[in-house]
Amino acid sequence: MADENDNERIDENQRPDKMFTLKKWNAVAMWSWDVECDTCAICRVQVMDACLRCQAESKKDSYGKQDCVVVWGECNHSFHYCCMSLWVKQNNRCPLCQQEWSIQRMGK
Amino acid sequence: MSDTTNRRPNFSNLPENVNNRSHNALNIKPTAAKKLVIKNLKSEPKLPDDYREQTWKKLKSAVLAIQQSKPNEYSLEELYQAVENMCNHKMAFLLYQKLYSLTEQYVAHNIEQFLTESMDRYLFLKKMSDTWQAHCNQMIMVRSIFLYLDRTYILQNHISSIWDMGLELFSKYILLNTLVQTRVVEGLLMLIEKERQGDQVDRTLLKSLLRMLTDLQIYDKAFEQKFLQATERLYAAEGQRLMQELEVPDYLAHVDKRITEENERVIHYLDPATKYQLIHTVEKQLLREHVTQILQKGLDQLLCEFRLEDLSLLFNLLSRVKNGLVDLCSAFNAYIKKKGRTIVIDPEKDKTMVQELLDFKDSMDNVVNNCFHKHERFGNSLKEAFENFINQRTNKPAELIAKFVDSKLRAGNKEATEEELERLLDKIMVLFRFIHGKDVFEAFYKKDLAKRLLVGKSASVDAEKSMLSKLKQECGGGFTSKLEGMFKDMELSKDINQAFKQHLTVNSRDLPQIEMTVSILTMGYWPTYQPMEVTLPDQMVRLQDVFKDFYLSKHSGRKLQWQPTLGHCVLKASFKLGPKELVVSLFQTLVLILFNDCYELAFDYIKEVTNIEDGELRRTLQSLACGKARVLIKIPKGRDVQDDDRFRFNDEFTNKLFRIKINQIQMKETTEEQKATEERVFQDRQYQIDAAIVRIMKMRKTLSHNLLISELYIQLKFPVKPADLKKRIESLIDRDYMERDKDNPIQYNYVA
Repeated sequence: MADENDNERIDENQRPDKMFTLKKWNAVAMWSWDVECDTCAICRVQVMDACLRCQAESKKDSYGKQDCVVVWGECNHSFHYCCMSLWVKQNNRCPLCQQEWSIQRMGK
Repeated sequence: MSDTTNRRPNFSNLPENVNNRSHNALNIKPTAAKKLVIKNLKSEPKLPDDYREQTWKKLKSAVLAIQQSKPNEYSLEELYQAVENMCNHKMAFLLYQKLYSLTEQYVAHNIEQFLTESMDRYLFLKKMSDTWQAHCNQMIMVRSIFLYLDRTYILQNHISSIWDMGLELFSKYILLNTLVQTRVVEGLLMLIEKERQGDQVDRTLLKSLLRMLTDLQIYDKAFEQKFLQATERLYAAEGQRLMQELEVPDYLAHVDKRITEENERVIHYLDPATKYQLIHTVEKQLLREHVTQILQKGLDQLLCEFRLEDLSLLFNLLSRVKNGLVDLCSAFNAYIKKKGRTIVIDPEKDKTMVQELLDFKDSMDNVVNNCFHKHERFGNSLKEAFENFINQRTNKPAELIAKFVDSKLRAGNKEATEEELERLLDKIMVLFRFIHGKDVFEAFYKKDLAKRLLVGKSASVDAEKSMLSKLKQECGGGFTSKLEGMFKDMELSKDINQAFKQHLTVNSRDLPQIEMTVSILTMGYWPTYQPMEVTLPDQMVRLQDVFKDFYLSKHSGRKLQWQPTLGHCVLKASFKLGPKELVVSLFQTLVLILFNDCYELAFDYIKEVTNIEDGELRRTLQSLACGKARVLIKIPKGRDVQDDDRFRFNDEFTNKLFRIKINQIQMKETTEEQKATEERVFQDRQYQIDAAIVRIMKMRKTLSHNLLISELYIQLKFPVKPADLKKRIESLIDRDYMERDKDNPIQYNYVA
């Protein structure tokens, strides 16, 4: 972590002898779900994409990604929320580690 | 005529008779006994014995006078009544006989003048015409006199009327004479041929003689056939000859002229019934026989030189002959494919390909609309041909069309107004429609769109949105959802930046005074960029981290990956000759800021401190020291950056602008990158196939293999081999999205 660094301190009026001062910075960042495995083990589609069923229904058209978020279990495994909610109807265990499935957090 | 009117002329004309009768009537007087007695006539009224001879003599002299064009000594009314009387006294048959033989004699006598040898053809025809005219006039006169005969005896006995009798006799004695007929017909054909060669001829004469043939009912047999044969012979030879001699446009003009002429011929003197066959013969000999040659020899040239009038003429002429338009259409189609291929196939012409395609499409549309009467067959053929040739080179046209759109949507493109741009986009969509690999277009379009959005270089939001909606309309929401996501990301980023600004004013920690905005992109929507780690100055890292904490506090379960390659900055710079603002990339910023501490730095040092990838750093230094705006000085001078180069701050830097944009030097798109884009396209296709299969199966529940494949071909917007589809189906069966029917292995069932 940077702390106060006087050499790099930017203040034009105080230090007119500085050759370059940063005025504006447009940074770019890419966000993705913070998951260990980027493929949903249930539908085998990347978690960043909508799950296969959602793609087939083209749900994402009007709502964007919100409809097909990611869910993390206590075991830290993650899946598409849509895929998992279908899965737990048959078997309330994580498909990867067979632990009892309980939701740790949901993507937002 | 009623009886009374019938009888009255009898009384007036035969005074003796009338007297007899009235005398008889007077004899019937009432007797003393007042008894009315009706007695028979004492004697029947009788004609004079020589009445027949006398009357005929009168009539005969009249007919002869007419025949010899002499004045008639009796009044016409008298003659008429003579005829009527003879008829009424049962002498009609005799009268007809006598008239017949009189006419026959005269007509038969006329033949001689036509039998003389070595007569000038024209004079002969003229004479024939005159004779015919005279005959007609005479017969009209004769008929007028013998009208009563015509209306009673002839009508009741169904024999030829006087007029017809005249025609029959004329025909029998004059035109059925082989020699005369041949002379007449040959003379006519000669005149017509002369006219066809461009000479003036006596059309009235032709008309009169042809009318004669029609009236005599020998037009078909004696004339028409021979005329058509002559026509056929003439135009067969002419067609052969002129096809060799003339250029196609001239030939077409000639044919058009010929058809007009022949049509006029029908109007002026031929029998209207000949029209169909005549025109048909001309068309056959001048056009049908030469369609292939005309098209081979001339169509490409006409299309190439864009000769609209000639093309219209060609279309109109060929539409006259059987299959002419079919042949024209296929030649048109072949031309487009051939020409289009040359536009598309040559990598040397890649730069101008799209503009050329647009121009080519415009001109061909113009031809179809203006010359080919928007004929449906041609419109469809045009589309088919474009689709065919544009896909002869895989991927490249799609890529270039995407890049072309980019060049038009990018800011600084001031050459077009909104409406012009809109029209251009519509035209591009037409080309886009022909492309099979639509996803290749999407991949490249996306790459360029990303650049436009991130650098804020888009010319107009409206134009972007309009293009997006066109794509959506064409390919459906699935195709554009990611592109739309990109726009959405930009809007969400705006909101986040605003919230972040507020967050900073509330939690005003002692942060560097840099105006920071962040574009947050959703992974998957955007093109993938190579991750690159660089070392930022501490103050920037701090700012970045503050933002990251802020963002993740709003969105759980996410992670952020910074994309230093895409960042850009505004720097304040103070040179000896005055302050400037530099618009630069993040990499350029990192390098420049180092010079705050030291006037001169070595390449190795810069590399170590910034940690920018070697090639990238060399390009960055090049842009700063060797470009248009040289804020650094390279030591030694030279274009390429070497390992032991040194760089010095250029204090003398000056520029007429205050705000200067220093462009990054773009790495040439390597084949690897190209491959990567294609690889990504391929990967995406797998998902799209999967999604389409699931979509179809979910709707149909159960479907045979073949039906599934054919539905997939309808839905998928890129070329795909059946084998690939099979693989995807197998994969979906493995993943339990569907199963083979237990009883019927070529049938699939959807598994919910």
